[in-house]
Amino acid sequence: MELTGCKELETKVIQENLCTFCGACTGMCPYFIAYKGRVILRDTCNISQGRCHNFCPRLSVDFNDVHRAIFGTSYRWDSLGNVLEVSIARSSDNAIRSKGQYGGVVTALISFALKEGFIDSAILTCPEHDGLPEGTLATTKKEVLLHARSSYIAAPTIGAFNSAAQSGKKERMGVVGTPCQILALAHMRVAPSDMQNNVKKLGLTIGLFCTWALSSEEFIGFLREKVSLSEIKKVDIPPPPANVFEIYTTSGRISVPLDEIRRFIRPACTYCTDMTAEFADISIGAAEGIEGWNTVLVRSEKGAELLNKAKRKKILEIHTMPAQNLAHLQEASLLKKKRGLKNIIQKTGNADDLLYLKADTKTVKEFLNG
Amino acid sequence: MAKGEEKTLGIDANWPGKVVLLMGIEAIARGALEAGVGVATAYPGTPSSELVDRLSKVAKKFNMYVEWSVNEKVALEIAGAASLSGIRAISAMKQNGLSVALDFLSGLAYTGIKKGLVLMVGDDAGALSSSNEQDSRHIARMLDLPLLEPATYQEAKDMAKWAFELSERFSTVCILRSTTRILHGRGNVTLGELPETTYHPRFDTSQICAPPMGRASKSHAALHKKLEEIRRFHEASPFNAYVGPENPELLLITSGTGWLYTAEALKTLAAEKRAGILKLGTTWPLPHNLVSKYLIQADKILFVEEVDAFLEAAVRDLAADLVPGRVWRFFGKSTGHISPFGELNPNIVIGAIANLLDMTYRPRKSAYQKECDRIASLYVPSRDLQFCAGCPHRAMYWSLKDALRLDGRDGVVTGDIGCYSMGQSPAGYSQMKTAHGMGSGVGVASGLGKLKQFGFSQPVLTVCGDSTFFHASLPALVNSAHNESDFILILLDNSGTAMTGFQPHPGIDRNAIGDSAPKVDAVELCKALGIPVTIVDPYEVKQTRDEFLRILKKDKGPKVVICKRECVLIRATGKGALFKVKVNPEKCLGEQCGCNRYCTRVFGCPGIRWDRDTKKAEIDEAVCSGCGVCAHVCPQSAIDREALS
Repeated sequence: MELTGCKELETKVIQENLCTFCGACTGMCPYFIAYKGRVILRDTCNISQGRCHNFCPRLSVDFNDVHRAIFGTSYRWDSLGNVLEVSIARSSDNAIRSKGQYGGVVTALISFALKEGFIDSAILTCPEHDGLPEGTLATTKKEVLLHARSSYIAAPTIGAFNSAAQSGKKERMGVVGTPCQILALAHMRVAPSDMQNNVKKLGLTIGLFCTWALSSEEFIGFLREKVSLSEIKKVDIPPPPANVFEIYTTSGRISVPLDEIRRFIRPACTYCTDMTAEFADISIGAAEGIEGWNTVLVRSEKGAELLNKAKRKKILEIHTMPAQNLAHLQEASLLKKKRGLKNIIQKTGNADDLLYLKADTKTVKEFLNG
Repeated sequence: MAKGEEKTLGIDANWPGKVVLLMGIEAIARGALEAGVGVATAYPGTPSSELVDRLSKVAKKFNMYVEWSVNEKVALEIAGAASLSGIRAISAMKQNGLSVALDFLSGLAYTGIKKGLVLMVGDDAGALSSSNEQDSRHIARMLDLPLLEPATYQEAKDMAKWAFELSERFSTVCILRSTTRILHGRGNVTLGELPETTYHPRFDTSQICAPPMGRASKSHAALHKKLEEIRRFHEASPFNAYVGPENPELLLITSGTGWLYTAEALKTLAAEKRAGILKLGTTWPLPHNLVSKYLIQADKILFVEEVDAFLEAAVRDLAADLVPGRVWRFFGKSTGHISPFGELNPNIVIGAIANLLDMTYRPRKSAYQKECDRIASLYVPSRDLQFCAGCPHRAMYWSLKDALRLDGRDGVVTGDIGCYSMGQSPAGYSQMKTAHGMGSGVGVASGLGKLKQFGFSQPVLTVCGDSTFFHASLPALVNSAHNESDFILILLDNSGTAMTGFQPHPGIDRNAIGDSAPKVDAVELCKALGIPVTIVDPYEVKQTRDEFLRILKKDKGPKVVICKRECVLIRATGKGALFKVKVNPEKCLGEQCGCNRYCTRVFGCPGIRWDRDTKKAEIDEAVCSGCGVCAHVCPQSAIDREALS
């Protein structure tokens, strides 16, 4: 019997541990809901291929189609994807730098984009009840600052985007998200045109570098044993060779060996090939070895426009990235890409079956052997 | 009769000789009144509920004591106590209830009784309102008790009266067994005299009323002797009769509804001269001589009886030693000539007789039948069993379904017998996974809640109604409190025994005759057992879901959540709707992605209907009871509700 769209997602994505918990299938209808780190099919819908089915990037995604929709070119199996400009940057605002992660560039750019009317609202991720992160809507710099920190926990942020878009109150929204979340938004652009599509309300995407995310409920349980959740100010995974997960609390810093954390990595992350959020307008991460600075990859014209304006208005201090750092970044990104592909092939047992990735397998094989 | 004395022609009409129209079960109630019955008890159950219901309405007039008992065993014990103290008593129950009363009944069979004690059992042939088909007549055979089966409405009354006399004559409980079509059908009944009865009850303390310790088999022997006496007595009973030719081609042996079906069948086939009917009213112990007399006149015998092949087996036993070497051809449920399950009807009986008499009988041409079915399906679409519009059980199951999906550990919900049994079907989102006897949901949950040591990891929940809670859930709950079983009891308190017609139970502040009565507080009971209790309003679906989720996280021991909201049918009789509910067609997404008829396709309340032309949901004002729950369910907030005072 053919499965209806929602059942197909449940059996092929959720039950197969491929769901990244990006939230793209949620926030649109009563059937799929995100709850404590899991997407739950609450009731069965009999629409054969609704938006959930078309939006989910883990049921099927063609990087070529998505890349063409955003950048106008085919996807190249290289290290960093489409990049117009690479730099390191930090916010000029001390208040933002002290609250944000590394150089606070994400917080600064989103605040700036809101102020300049680039976007009318921003979907961010913040710890909600029980310390579990959720997507949230911010419209002012003050609200943006409230959520200025990384969580490393998978969050259904795109669900918050969907529900805000459907509420009809916001028309140009910015989204800050991990590579899987940014891919989900990009994937919406290739959905059939007759579909009511929230992506029309999308004005800007800022992608965050990501190696993996943690499964929420299990990890929160682990954190609780170490510290009271309300005392956590910030968490960080400093660049290698530190190999620790650092928890900054009101009473000091706790370092947890990274190996203790790895068991909470979301299984779906093992099948991810994207470290630098290749389908974003701008991608941002830590600048390895340059404390207090971010790496910034401008990918689209829109991203370039925002960054240049921010530079002109002295919102950001921007420098060229040292060549050695760029090489490190490329190497790390390639490593994740190859590891992800190998894990996919290991799961299917067939180099011509890349699970959710619809790609020319010849190119992929060449990439893996290259 | 004094002029103007009678206002009604009900079961209490003091008008001997008057022919009145009575339900079979009302006729039994009348028969009990004509026997001067003093005490009547029951736990409700279709098709037996009307006996106590009708008697409760005349209880004061006849100085009777009538009660809705907590369960059938207690009901029979109350009636038994009356009998042992010298008062005629009757207790009514359905087939499942007899299983509950069986323990006491088996003891009572050994000790015997004093004043007439009649146990009326209503068997639900076809299981129209039951969880099983069960032939209670086997119990009479098992416990060596006399059994009577009325075949007409008149007989229902006469036999009921006679049953008290039989009971007293042989100092034994008499079982009066009937089935739905007699009990719930109506027919003419000629009334008899209503006696003036004054009782002087006393329990004779010079006698022990218990099976002799260590020598109970002697009582068993005495019981067999008594049964032989009753058999001889049955030989001359006016309730057994033969109608038909001598040496018939086909002998039909019937009881109960079988008599009417058989008589109709012979008339329809114009076969009265070929076949004869032996109609039995005293079906245990079987009057051997009477049956033998007709048995030897025929070679082919067809049994027409409701539920099991009870007479068939008894007559085959009898025939085995009757005439050495003689072989009869027996037909009935054991040969498949009559379906061994489901309810009888005239067509089944006509078909079986026609077959055995080599006649052709076609109730309807198949083309005609097909056309009937086709036309019916045009106007009456088939519909699943459904909770009433606004039923709090639907709201509770909605919240429970959501809570279990969110919880994600494949929680198991056990259950039992009540309106909420529909939780096993799409009406209750297929949440209830077990249903056996009354109160068994709690017992089974209590068992599942002890399997952790074997690696069982699913959360365990159980549902039971407020009446069922008192009926048989309590012992299981006490068991779980003592043995620290891990589960959640969801007590569905809708303020009455809803499924059988809102009879009061110990948690209600009035008794069977409508007088105020102390209310047993389920909350205090649970607390006394050391079990934590929370109370939710199932109409508040989100709060109820969150409460389930909260309690699902708690681990040790039993927990109770009371879903308190009176049955919408009780509400409808006095208080009316809570909300005026409307669908805003502008907001309704209908079949579009994002909703896909969530209210009509998934939630499924019959108060909301789908308009195929406008492709929008709308409230069916004739059906909507105004509970307002759907306003919480609609994902688009397209259902508006306005509170009514």
